[in-house]
Amino acid sequence: MAEVRLELIEKIEGEAQVRYHYEKDHIDFAEILFLTGRGIERILEGRDPWDALAINPRVCGICGHAHLIATVRALEDCYDDLQVSAKAKQIRELTLAFEVLQNHFKWFYLTILPLLELKAPMERVLEPSRLLGEMIALLAGQYPHNSYAIPGGISGEITPVELLGVRERHQRIRKHFQESVIHVDLEQFVRCDRIETMLEREGDLPRAMQRILDWGWERLGRSHDRFIVFGSNDLFEAGKSIGTRLRRHLDLRYLQESPIQGSRARRVLYRGRSYETGPLARAMLLKTPLTREAHRRYGDSLFSRILARVCEIPRLLRYTESLIGSIDLSEPAWVDPGPLPVEAEGVGIVEAARGSLIHQVRVGEGKIQKYRIVTPTQWNLGNGSREDPGVAQAALIGLRRGDPAELVFKSFDVCSVCTTK
Amino acid sequence: MRLLWLSALACNGNAHSLLNYPGFQEWQEDFHWLYHPLLPSRYTFPEIEKGIEGVEVLIVDGTLEEGLIKNRLPYRELLLRYGDQAERIVTVGTCATFGGIFAQGGGGRSGLHFEGDEHLKGYERFWEKTVSLPGCPVQPEVLAGTLSIIRRRDPLPLDTLHRPKYFYAYTIHDGCTRNEYFEYKIDEHHFGTLEGCMFYDHGCQGTFTHGSCNKILWNGVNSKTRAGTPCLGCTEPDFPREGLWRTPKHMGIPARMPLGVPRRAYLGLAGIAKAFRIERFTRPLMEDEGG
Amino acid sequence: MSSTTERVDRKAKKREKIVRTALKLFAKQGFYTTTIPEIAGKIGMSVGNLYNYFSSKEILAQEIIREISAYLGSRIREVNDSDLHVREKIRRIVSIYFETARNEPEMIDFFLRVYLSNREVFHEGCEGMICVNEFVTEIMIFFDDGVANGELKNQDFFSAFGLFMGYLGGMVFLNGERILPRRLESYIDDISENIYNALKVP
Ligand code: SF4
Ligand code: SF4
Repeated sequence: MAEVRLELIEKIEGEAQVRYHYEKDHIDFAEILFLTGRGIERILEGRDPWDALAINPRVCGICGHAHLIATVRALEDCYDDLQVSAKAKQIRELTLAFEVLQNHFKWFYLTILPLLELKAPMERVLEPSRLLGEMIALLAGQYPHNSYAIPGGISGEITPVELLGVRERHQRIRKHFQESVIHVDLEQFVRCDRIETMLEREGDLPRAMQRILDWGWERLGRSHDRFIVFGSNDLFEAGKSIGTRLRRHLDLRYLQESPIQGSRARRVLYRGRSYETGPLARAMLLKTPLTREAHRRYGDSLFSRILARVCEIPRLLRYTESLIGSIDLSEPAWVDPGPLPVEAEGVGIVEAARGSLIHQVRVGEGKIQKYRIVTPTQWNLGNGSREDPGVAQAALIGLRRGDPAELVFKSFDVCSVCTTK
Repeated sequence: MRLLWLSALACNGNAHSLLNYPGFQEWQEDFHWLYHPLLPSRYTFPEIEKGIEGVEVLIVDGTLEEGLIKNRLPYRELLLRYGDQAERIVTVGTCATFGGIFAQGGGGRSGLHFEGDEHLKGYERFWEKTVSLPGCPVQPEVLAGTLSIIRRRDPLPLDTLHRPKYFYAYTIHDGCTRNEYFEYKIDEHHFGTLEGCMFYDHGCQGTFTHGSCNKILWNGVNSKTRAGTPCLGCTEPDFPREGLWRTPKHMGIPARMPLGVPRRAYLGLAGIAKAFRIERFTRPLMEDEGG
Repeated sequence: MSSTTERVDRKAKKREKIVRTALKLFAKQGFYTTTIPEIAGKIGMSVGNLYNYFSSKEILAQEIIREISAYLGSRIREVNDSDLHVREKIRRIVSIYFETARNEPEMIDFFLRVYLSNREVFHEGCEGMICVNEFVTEIMIFFDDGVANGELKNQDFFSAFGLFMGYLGGMVFLNGERILPRRLESYIDDISENIYNALKVP
């Protein structure tokens, strides 16, 4: 018996609706709908290009900083030969990574644990979130919604005093992560490649992963097993992988966006196919040990997806620690890039918490003529058809009644506000 | 005190900002979320649509849009129902207060009582009980503090736009570390430095924007202007104006004067201040004083 | 009580007299050739007493330029406070300037011959444009209003200021040298029109 049920998904960034089509006892098809749109791209058109630095962080209250960094990269790409000091680049990398870290903590504690009916003291998420906000603010002025990254570097100057504040908080978070989340030394954890070893501990991560196993959910939520990562830096590598087969080279010309009927989101494809983006994709490209092991056993399931995201935290902590250590404060924070070319095009790519974020700008007569934003959620949550379902759709199809559809859905961490930019 | 948080077209920045409130845990003990977009709450959104009782403060977030439907019900119906039920209404953020950025993205968009500085009549019966907390996003101390004052039923003096004076009587310029450069009219400013003031060239709206950014400080540690970014004027009805990084000028004279300062007074003082080349302000702060 | 007021009054009058007399002498003979005893002698007061009012010749000169600036500033302020079109405002300012040059020629002479030519006299105490602040402020307000109303082109302040004031100063100078074939006032219309054309929005 066919049955259609519309459900509202809440407590994500914004809301989405899913229209589940049941056939007997399983989900036969699911349509993901985003009902409202805000029109940021349109708001930008005709404005001074620098205004995008102020407006774009407001695309999203949780990953707005990624939008700022994508914006500044897109604007800098408009220049032929622009100098940015290593210091400014490192500080931008830092604040960006701090936001990703913060998003990971929030998602794990506020979204995932409640769905697994696990409790943890509120302070476990509030403290790292607050500290990471302070770390960004020390360098960038405030969080959320600062605009400190500008063509040529950063708007202010950093002294050892701010860095000290960052360092102390960093230590505090590392300690918190070791004690509460993984319950083991961070270096040891990063090398760990056995699921069982991880599970032996008492932290919130092992608790969550054990619960998934206990409830027999570890193979649910598998999708196309295709991954894509556009951003690369000292931590992430760009490329795509189909299962475990890698290709490093990507070309933005193969990116296609198309409207989705009944939804304010647009679907995005690479060479006509949908790909998953985000922490699991990044881990697959990097072949990080624990996530690879999970993928070998359970495929691109919700187990692998959740594990991959939390496993990014220690890697980000090490990355940011080494960044802090390598900053040379005597370098300039900003080098005047001169006026933005009056006619130009630029692309800015960032690995945000939920995956690859791409900004494309066209400047004409000194104003923004066109601005396009492709967000991670568009990759993961964009709707396809029954024949060619999108990533999250494919993960939902085949679930039975009683299966945790909401968890499967939220394992992608839906950012509806970004999607409905 | 029972709170109901409703978001229209929003980025969720105000909800996230509140989580950064240092005393959040203790603060929350006095409040119950009937609904909050992120935090555990007593009801689900569909239950809110069906109808609940007991709302004491209605928190309105996000830009309103004509005909907006969040799930099943027109958003306006929810606002009217719970607006009547609530003792106080708090518009949180510039979007819900004045329309903000997203109001520029389509027709029929506004804040609850304002479209920019135009006072609308659509929810007029709520005006008396509304408190405006603009900001993009609002500072957590401002939201948490206002709600606590409301809960204690302490007096809450408001300005003409209904912003609580305790937080909005100041200007952003109050407490900025670049103040001396403003006072002595050192109009040279370069990004990436500790020195200089962004009033003259780089669009700083701190002298005529109401708020506590440089008094409370963001995340307890910093502010835009201290970090070399101009104040974008995000607590004001005209946010975001065009050309946010440039100071509009008439023959070199800033087109907008500091709040309440007559142009003649400003120009007179500026002329005097400018006459003196004060050594200290021409040197980098971190330079050896002997050198 | 009343005797105190009278005394203050008398002092103010004396002071005014010194300024007036010095202004005439400075304007005619220049700053350096004019001496304090000469000024005192002209008024019929002792040199010592004059020093009670102004402790040096420099300070006296500075006071004079401040008063000129205040006088011109207050006259231009009336124009600024009016609702006239910018074209008419320019005409009024030009008229005020030329009228002053005719009725109080020593004011303009002092400005051109002493203030602009002996900058060292004004170094300490009249830094930058402090001593002509009131006058400059009104010119700024005139420009600012013009741009705000969309009547004047938005350009660098000094380019506009130089064009306006340099032009007027030049004409007064030519007049003073008796080079101009016609009366100064007869040029008001043309000059105003030229200034307007040079400053207006293209
Ligand atoms: S930068 Fe802005 S807030 Fe700071 S002193 Fe200058 S005008 Fe004031
Ligand atoms: S400094 Fe200005 S733009 Fe920034 S948050 Fe404060 S009021 Fe808003």
